[in-house]
Amino acid sequence: MRQLYWILPFLFLLASAFIVKKATHIKPKESFFTNVPEPSDICNHPNNNNYFMVSDNGYLFEVDENGQIIRKADFEGFDCEGVHADENFVYVVEEMVRKIRVFDLNTLELVRTVHLPYQGGRNKGYEAITFNKAKNRMVILTEKDPIYLFELNEDLSIYNEILLDGIARDISAATYHADHLWLLSDEDRTVFKLDPNNYKVLAAWKFPIINPEGLVFNKKDQMVIVSDDMEKFFIFETPLP
Amino acid sequence: MRKLILVVLLIIAYVPTNAQLSLGNGQHVLEITGGVSTYYNQRILKETSDNKNKDRFRLRDAQLQLEGRYKNTIAYELQVDFVDLASFATGAIDPENPGLMDAFVTYKGLGFMDIQMGYGKLFYSRSSLVPFQYTTFWQRAQIVRGDMFSRRDVGITLMSDFWRQRINLYGGVYTGLGELSIRGDNDASGQPEFVGRIDIAYPSRFRYRDIDDKITPIPMFQLGVNGRYANKQLPEGRSFPAFSTGEFGLKVINGERYLYGMDAAFQYMGFSAQFEIHQMHAIPQLENDALFQGLPIDQTDGFVLAGGYVTQLNYHYRPWKSIISLRFEELDLNDLVPGNSQRLSIGAAYQFRGFDSMLKFQYFRILREESIDPIRWTEQFRIGWQYNFK
Repeated sequence: MRQLYWILPFLFLLASAFIVKKATHIKPKESFFTNVPEPSDICNHPNNNNYFMVSDNGYLFEVDENGQIIRKADFEGFDCEGVHADENFVYVVEEMVRKIRVFDLNTLELVRTVHLPYQGGRNKGYEAITFNKAKNRMVILTEKDPIYLFELNEDLSIYNEILLDGIARDISAATYHADHLWLLSDEDRTVFKLDPNNYKVLAAWKFPIINPEGLVFNKKDQMVIVSDDMEKFFIFETPLP
Repeated sequence: MRKLILVVLLIIAYVPTNAQLSLGNGQHVLEITGGVSTYYNQRILKETSDNKNKDRFRLRDAQLQLEGRYKNTIAYELQVDFVDLASFATGAIDPENPGLMDAFVTYKGLGFMDIQMGYGKLFYSRSSLVPFQYTTFWQRAQIVRGDMFSRRDVGITLMSDFWRQRINLYGGVYTGLGELSIRGDNDASGQPEFVGRIDIAYPSRFRYRDIDDKITPIPMFQLGVNGRYANKQLPEGRSFPAFSTGEFGLKVINGERYLYGMDAAFQYMGFSAQFEIHQMHAIPQLENDALFQGLPIDQTDGFVLAGGYVTQLNYHYRPWKSIISLRFEELDLNDLVPGNSQRLSIGAAYQFRGFDSMLKFQYFRILREESIDPIRWTEQFRIGWQYNFK
């Protein structure tokens, strides 16, 4: 009976191995460089095939479908980590200073700034922003330790807080596509497909890309992942297996 | 006792670590982090020794770190270790674990280059630059612990990066007294030390880490070279401040001192490896300098060489949250003395919450020792817990 106590830590180790979520492995079918420095997120332009991208060093860009800069907002932030665009505005989250910057879609002029205080780690703040159509609410997510998903009101104030700890080691991007919420994890190099109503993980895919920071589905329904360290676009075939 | 250990392990496993805090006003952000680590040490002594004073529990770290940024132009850091603060004011400073660890301000407003001023880690030796909490070991390799060359100093550093941060350049000038510099005055020579480093990584930037905790899907490499120079010729009758020359009398010498180093790192799919080598070329100004070991000038040619290397292999098996490391090191403290020392270390870690809550074990074995650095033990075991609130 006394030996039983020593079995428990090993059972704990073994259990740890099975707690890790199993994911399907996928590979990109093509890749190309972007000239956006240190890209940290990407979203679709609502009216054409272009994208909006933000960079770690605080800039907002519009880029073409090949990732080449078309124009740049006359704005210098701290560290832009998430971007989302609708018919009228481009929304940018700044991680360190906990702000949402709202830009006019056509002129890329800053029209509004909202401060959303959050006392977590300096580099573990807001990392992703997108619009959850199922709930008709904007959502923003913190990166890690812990991972929070905040549902926002129309005025961008916080409406609801959901703890997503355990889903991944971190979250680096979010997007809404085909009636689901999609999250990207940099440290786990995994894309998660979530039920947008209860935020439960429905499926997960692992991929071999260094420092993935941006996630979007383009107008051809292809999944696009942007690597920060590599400054590169990676295109995946969809539907995903 | 076994029940007690089991209970402690289970408590550790479920202690939350999301304790990092930051304060901000939209332009200025201040982050508060820290950590505590403690271990039990057990030595196997030589038959000639009966002093078991190192068989004990020890609090290694009790750190508090304040890290801030003002707009895009100023970054700063202040880090202290309360365990070592008491000895910092008067006694010998442990260069691996000094009381004051960082106190610097970085100006980032130039864009093409950052300027760092104050006291902090020198950009010399990749292994020294790896934060201690990101390793499986309880002690750094002998050659990079700060006994042969200083790891911290007061001065100014210029730093820049190119090619998507794959190339990093550092250059700076410092007092040359290393960790002792914080006490105020320079030595009687009044001369500084110059330090420079360049490293290049491929296919992406490579952070100063030993363990591949991201299970990198593409092989990554980094190569670095660094050098430092000081010409501290003391006026006759003067001596260096107490403790500044270090345990082996090599950190600061009365004369010219060149130090060169090269390092390489690799990581892929949880495997990682590091290699690092250093050589010191010392030219003491006095023929009767202790470094010459009493030998005549025609035998020494007026200079002394010292150096060594360390190589390390690591594997991180993420499903089991486990890391294992193997390290081999060789050190020659003086080429005028025959022989060198060799050590082997095995490190193992279990991550309850990544590096922020980790059980660490290290086994040391002395394979060979140098006559001018006798050691009273042959093997050593160290096991403990590292907890960071960050």
